[in-house]
This record gives sequence, C-alpha cells and structure tokens, in this order.
Amino acid sequence: MEAGFYFFEQIFNSAIFYFALVVMASYIFLCFFSALEMKAYMRKNSFIDYREILVSPFAPSVSILAPAYNEEATIVDNVKSIMSLHYSNFEIIIINDGSKDHSLEKLIHAYQLEKVDFCVNEQLNHQPIRGIYKSRNSSYAKLIVIDKENGGKSDALNAGINVSSKDLLLCIDVDCIVEQDALLKLVKPYLEEKKRVIATGGVVRIANSCEVEDGRLVKVHMPKNIISRFQVLEYIRAFLMGRMAWSRLNGLLIISGAMGLFDKEIVIKCGGYSHETVGEDMELVVRMRRYMHDHNLKYQVVYIPDPLCWTESPVDFKILGRQRNRWTRGTIETLWTHRDLFFNPKYSILGMLSYPYWLFFEWLAPILEGIGIITFILLASFGKINWEFSLILFTMVYTFSILLSTIAVLFEERSYHQYTSGKDVLKLLLLAFIEPVVYHPLTIYWSIKGNIDKFTGKKNWGTMTRAGFTSNQKNKLEPSSAQNLKTKQEQSA
Amino acid sequence: MARILLVEDEELMLKALEFRLKKDEHEVEIAKDGREALLKIQSADFDLIITDIMLPFVSGLEIIGKVKQTPHLAKTPMIVLSAVGLENVVLEAFELGVDDFITKPFNLTELTIRVKKLLKK
Amino acid sequence: MLLSVSVGEYLKSLFFDRLPFFPDNIRISLFIIMFCLIATIEIYLYVFLKKAKNKRDNYLNANWKEKISNMLSNIIIYGDEDDGLENVVNHFLPRFKKLPLKRKRVRNILIEEIRIYHSNFTGFTADVLKELFIKLELHKYTLEKLKSNYWEIQIEGIREIAQFWLYEYDQLVFALTDHEHEIVRMEAQTAHVRLNRDNPFKFLDHMRGRILPWHQLILFEIITKAKYVKIPSFVKWLGSRNDSVVIFCLKLIGYYQQLDALAEIVKLLKHPQEEIRKMSVWVIGKMEAEFVEEELLKIYPKETQKVKLEILSALGKISSGNYLSFLKDCLLTPDFEIKMGATKAILGHGRKGKLMLQELQSVVSAKNSQIIAHVLDARI
Repeated sequence: MEAGFYFFEQIFNSAIFYFALVVMASYIFLCFFSALEMKAYMRKNSFIDYREILVSPFAPSVSILAPAYNEEATIVDNVKSIMSLHYSNFEIIIINDGSKDHSLEKLIHAYQLEKVDFCVNEQLNHQPIRGIYKSRNSSYAKLIVIDKENGGKSDALNAGINVSSKDLLLCIDVDCIVEQDALLKLVKPYLEEKKRVIATGGVVRIANSCEVEDGRLVKVHMPKNIISRFQVLEYIRAFLMGRMAWSRLNGLLIISGAMGLFDKEIVIKCGGYSHETVGEDMELVVRMRRYMHDHNLKYQVVYIPDPLCWTESPVDFKILGRQRNRWTRGTIETLWTHRDLFFNPKYSILGMLSYPYWLFFEWLAPILEGIGIITFILLASFGKINWEFSLILFTMVYTFSILLSTIAVLFEERSYHQYTSGKDVLKLLLLAFIEPVVYHPLTIYWSIKGNIDKFTGKKNWGTMTRAGFTSNQKNKLEPSSAQNLKTKQEQSA
Repeated sequence: MARILLVEDEELMLKALEFRLKKDEHEVEIAKDGREALLKIQSADFDLIITDIMLPFVSGLEIIGKVKQTPHLAKTPMIVLSAVGLENVVLEAFELGVDDFITKPFNLTELTIRVKKLLKK
Repeated sequence: MLLSVSVGEYLKSLFFDRLPFFPDNIRISLFIIMFCLIATIEIYLYVFLKKAKNKRDNYLNANWKEKISNMLSNIIIYGDEDDGLENVVNHFLPRFKKLPLKRKRVRNILIEEIRIYHSNFTGFTADVLKELFIKLELHKYTLEKLKSNYWEIQIEGIREIAQFWLYEYDQLVFALTDHEHEIVRMEAQTAHVRLNRDNPFKFLDHMRGRILPWHQLILFEIITKAKYVKIPSFVKWLGSRNDSVVIFCLKLIGYYQQLDALAEIVKLLKHPQEEIRKMSVWVIGKMEAEFVEEELLKIYPKETQKVKLEILSALGKISSGNYLSFLKDCLLTPDFEIKMGATKAILGHGRKGKLMLQELQSVVSAKNSQIIAHVLDARI
C-alpha cells in the first residue's frame, strides 16, 4: 500500500509536472509567434490603401452567405447593413432556413421582393428550396433571398453555395455586426500570398453593451454583464494570441462560423458543409486542408487580426453552457472523423502539430483537469496532501494564467485598442485575476459535460438540425485551456 | 443660389467641397453617412444632390434609388462623386437615374461647371 | 499588520532560507511565480503609460489636423486658373510657413493631409497642392525617408514622390526597384511606372518571380489612371517566359483594346497554362474579335471546364450569330454550368438571341427550360 502511494506520488511529481511545463512553454511559444505575426501584419498593412481593391476590376467576386432562422426582429436592419459593405463586386444571399416567424415576409416587404424562376445548380445536397426571391427595385439588385425547408446551418449554407455565382464565399451569421471594410481586408490575402489561399478568417468580438445603430457599431464599450465580460477576455486571448500564432505556422484548424471567407471551388470540390456534425465550421476547414494535401496542392489558411465582426454573446450561464457543450461535441466529432490525421507525416503540420495539439490540449486537457480535481479532493480526504506544496503549485498556475491574460490585453492595446477608456482596460486586467477561479472551472464543467453527452449517445445534435440554430450558438473559439494545468499541478503535491 | 445636399464620409473632401460650393453662393447641407442623407431628403427639398457611393450605414446606390422612386423628389438632379469608377457600378448608377458620374480624382472646376449646368436644366 | 509581517516573513523564508531544500518541481514553480509576477507588473506599467501617451497624442493630433485641414480647404477654394498658380500659392505661403514644421508631428500631419487632398483632385487644385508642397520644402523630408532604415518609411517616401510627380527623383526610385524587400520593390516599380516618361515598362523585361495579383491590381490602377504614361503595345511581352507577365499584359491589352495583339493571342490559345488560355479567351471576347471564333471552337472540345465557360462567354460577347447552333447544342450536354454559359451566350446576341431562347423554351427538356427562364429573367 505504501509502495503504491510512493509510486503514485513519483509519477505525479515528475511526469505530470514536466508535461505541464511543456504545455506552459507551448503557450509562451504561441504567444511569441502571435506577436511576430501581429507585428508583421501591422507593419505590412499600415500604409495600405484598401481603396485599391475597391476600385479594381480585377478584385475577386464575393457571395455573402447569411443563413437566418427566426430573426424577424432584426433581419431587415441586418440585411441593410450588409448591403452597405464596402466592396464593388458582391452579391448577398440570405437563406431563410424554414423560420417559424415572419422573417421572410418582413424581407419581402422591406426589399420589394418577388419570387423568380431561379435555376439552381445542385452541386451540394440540402433540404428542398421553397422559393428564391429577388427585388423589383434595382437598388437592391445585389440581394437574393432563398426560402427553404429547415435543415440547420450547414444545410442552409450548402443551399446558398449552390445559388452563388461568385468566386469567393463569405459565410457570416446574419445577426453579426460586420465592419464595412471587412471584405476588403479579408480579400487581400487572396491577392498577395504566394500560395493559394483557401480560407481567411476574421476576428470576432463581443458586441454586448456596445452602441449599435442601424446594424452598425458606433461605439465600443465593455459589456456590463460579467458573463460577457469574461468572454471578452477569452475572445481576445483566443483570437489575438492563439489563432494569429497558428496562422503564422499555417496550422490553423478553425475559422469561426461567424465570419470566414472561403474559396468556392475548393469548398464545392470537398463537398461543402457537413450535415454530420455540430461543429461544421471547424470540420470544413479541416476537410479543405486535407483535400489540398491529398491533391498535393500548396495552400494557406490565413487569419486577419483586425476586429471585423461583432457578435452578441450569451449573457446567462445556461445558454453559454449549451454553446460550450456544442463546441466540445463539435471538436470531438471533427477529431474523430479525421482521426487518421493523427501524427500522419503526409499531412505535415496539419497532422504533426495542429491535430495533436487539438487532441491533447483542446479535447483532453479539460478532461484531465476534471480528473485532477477529483483526485485532489480524494487525496485531501485521505489526508495525503502537502498543503504548502499544493499552494505553491496552485499559485504558479494562477500567476501564469494571469500573465497570459495580461499579455493578451497588451496585444489588444498595442494593436487595435478598441477599449479606449482606461477604466475598461483596467476592468479587463482585473478580470484576469478572478477568471481562473470563477469562469474557468465552469468552462471545464461544460466541456466535460459535452464529452459525457457525446459518449453516452445523448443525441440531441440529431434533433439539432431540425431545430435549426439559434443566435446564441455561433463562432467557435479555442476554449481557454491556459489554466488547464492547474489541477495537474495540484495532483503533484 | 441653390440648395445642395452633399453626402460624403471623408472629412477632408467634405470640407473642401462644402467650402467650394458655398463660395458659389449655394446653400449647402451636409450628410456624413447614408442614414443622415435619407433623413435630410425626407425633411427638406433640394435642388441638387451630390453623393458618394461607399458610405456608412446606407450605400449611395440605395439613396439614389430612394430619391428616384419618391415622386416629389424624382426630378432632383443627382451627381455621383466616387472613387469607384468600375463599369458595373457606373452602369448601375445610371440605370437608377443619376444625371452625372464623376470619379475621384476629379477636377474641382469641372465639378462646379457640371453643377451649374444641371441646375440650369 | 501582524498578518502582513508574517506573510513577509513566510515569503522570505520560502525564497531564501528553505529554497535549497525543496524538491526540483517546487523550486521551479517558485521561480515561475516570481517571473510571472514581475512580468505582469511590467506589462501593467507599460499599458498604462502607453495609454496616457496615446491620449495626449490623439488630443494634439486632432487639434493640428483640424487647423491644417481648414487651411488647406481655404487654399483649395481660393482663386482659379485666372489668378495664376504662383499668386494663389504665394498668397497662402506665409501662413503655412508659420506652422512649426520642425516638429515631426505637425509636419507629418501636413504632409499626409496634402497627400490625401492631392490624390483626390486633378487639374488646378492638384497643381496648387504640389506647388505648396515644394515651396514648403517638404520634398526634402521625402528624400530623407527614401534613405531610411525602415522599409515602411521608405515606402512612404516612394509614395510621396509618385503622388506629387517628382520627376527629378525618378532615378532614386528606380534604384529601389532592386531592393531586397519585396514590398519596397513593388512600390518602387509602381512609382517608376508613374514617373518614367520614356520607358516605364522596362521592368517587365526582367521581372524576377511572379507579379502577385495584388501588385498587378495596383499597377493596373496606376497605369490606367495616370494621364502621362505612354502606353506601349503590350504584345511584345506576350512571349515572356514569366506567366504572370503574360497575364498582366493580357489584362492591359484587353483594357486598351490593342487589336494588333490578336495574332499573338491566338497563339497563346495553345499555351500549356490553363490560366493564360483562359485569359486569352477573355481578351478575345472583350475585343469582340469575330475572326477568331473559329479558332475558339476548334480548341473547345479539348479544353478544361474553366476555359470552356470562358469560350462560351466570349461567343456571347462577340455575338456574330455564326455559332448559334453550336450554342444550342451545348444545351444537350449534361453539365449545368456549360448549359448556363451557353444560354447566357445566346442571350448575348441581343433581340435575336432572346427570340431564339423563347422559341427554344417550349421544345427543350424541363431542366433546360428552367435554365432559359432563369437567364431570361432580367431581375436575376
């Protein structure tokens, strides 16, 4: 019995401790790469005149796809705001995914729409289309509205892709607030990269408590609601630190469903959005990357650090929990579908780095953390804990996570400083102190719950497609696993 | 002497144009975005409207459409002043019924002459 | 009080007296804690100092900007050709000279504002602004920028030279077309095209590597908007081994409708690169070159999907009417895009095409009839 405990202690003392150090080092690395990438991007684009793209006849053409489900309250304004985007060659495709409210009627009335005999090129499968509408009024010539049977977000997007007649696809959530020059900024990588760009993603920010007029962001404020405020910190960390680094390494696995620009040709060739998963945004990027590797084509997936898209975040734990549960299941499904990528040298950085990273840090880490907490409690109840050491280890992880969040705030300040008042920044910085003990444990709980739901076969994602998607389930981002290490440390005591 | 509505979002351009038109003794109303423009159109009549296309909130094309489809405004002459001189955009604007399309960079004297000409009609 | 003393004592013993006796992992943890705390505090200080500085900067900049843009607006509307360039500028010069141009902040704002105004106007206004720029000797700073160690500053300099047509510095710009940094090279080439009156397109002869689409887009813009650029016959670069040069020249040939290039373009229809063939077909369509139609039809059966679609679109633009039956037959293929392309091409034939489609509508299959209805609907 004593020997068993001794062995147990040794493992946790050394193996897990050093594993944790590796994890921490990887965060520092990501941070470093991200800083490099941000700096290079800011330097390169500081003197760019985006008007050049606006006025050029050779700028790529873009279809904006926005699926809508029960959005009658805001849809007319949202469409108006999308229509005023700065770009010369684009069309807007709104897909009414079998809304049960009056979304379609409102659109028809506001934009003088009438049903047309649109002939759709059925390249991707989706639920039947009930009708396609265009406006009598030629100032709305860019607008196409598809009315179809409900089939979920992927299904709606696939229908939109079939209707699209342009080269690039901008997939957005219809209730997002899109910056007016977003398209110009997202298109630029397609023009300037040496390899073929198959997708670009934009940073998603939290719009709660911001001043919004006619579907446009007028002034940025820190959310009043504490739950949204946690997410602000989380989003800054995930987007500015995580994704920029992955973009530099060309190992980006995910482009948030709230805003992404894709190469239509590749999307169609690899079969469009998948109906099989709740994490369709991540799954599509992985599949597109695979396709490029399988066909020996050089490619790139790029991330733009500019804040291009603002979204309303969940303000209560129930909805937030559901969202995170879904993200976890999406991650599991994507990882499982593409399990043969795991350390597969054929897929270079995708197989050797991105995939394992997601498997170990995004999927496994919260589970380990959960197990860690339970072990800690068990050991404590047996009186086997060295309280001083565990306090020291806990403090280490705690200070490290504060440092990471602080660096993220620094990045934000150095780049776009959206939160202009010093008070807001201070709030953000102070939030870093309570986030690891208040918000983080909850994300762990939701993530584990997602795993349990997935593996016990509680198939609520099956009904998911029929229920459509709700406005609170959107952009996916890397859950902050910065503090995941915590419990591993606790165990080593 | 005429009432002119100037819709433009670039501060610098707005200022230069406003000063120039006022010098010709026109009464100039300014709108810095599309939404403001739509409000001004509803509340007062103008003898001429000069508008950009890429504007905040509401695009210039929509403003043109609105003006040309509102019976008592439809006859108001309109000039588009935009950096985007692309064929499809110009055609779209003319189809909606604008009277003139000037691309930036442009000649200020030329603009004032065109304004004069349109006002005479 | 007592508590804080005892915490201090505890930390002291932790980090000094007991440190050597801890196991490795605890020692490492203690070091990491120290590091994190120090780094966090430093970032805090940095963020707030920076914030205070930015606030002050923004305030000052806004004030100067307001003042300067008012001055510039006045000079723009003051006087016209009849008053003479010199007189207008001299009238305002003393006021501008009073600005503290030795201060970098004010100078940069002034340069930037003049540049923006200059880029928006042509004619007399632009001349006045340039004259003002020179009289204030701001071009001296432009030359300094060219020599900077930072490439983004060099680019600023290059752009100013190009914007204000400072022909006398053309050679300095040309020297930078061989710069080690790619973006500087590109900017220098662009500026050179704008400035050089004799042989602006020399760079096409010895273009290293691909001209990125972004660069092509900017060059195209400069070339087609600049008034003094002498447009050569671009056909001489169609034989270039650099594919991007060929594509770029095809775009320009299409834009300037250089019909003399057609013979060469027909040869390009056999080029191994799909992109070049596609572009060639596009140019042929754009120039409505009827006599090449037969050639297009000859290559059609063996072409890739993308080029086929381009050929159909070209036939629609040429709209000679000679190949309507071919287009009609395209409706029999199973491929959706080809059918759509062919139908649009028929509609391209004006009234005749429209009539033909209306006739066809009743005789073809249901799917084809849908396609025709789609194409005939003006709203779509």
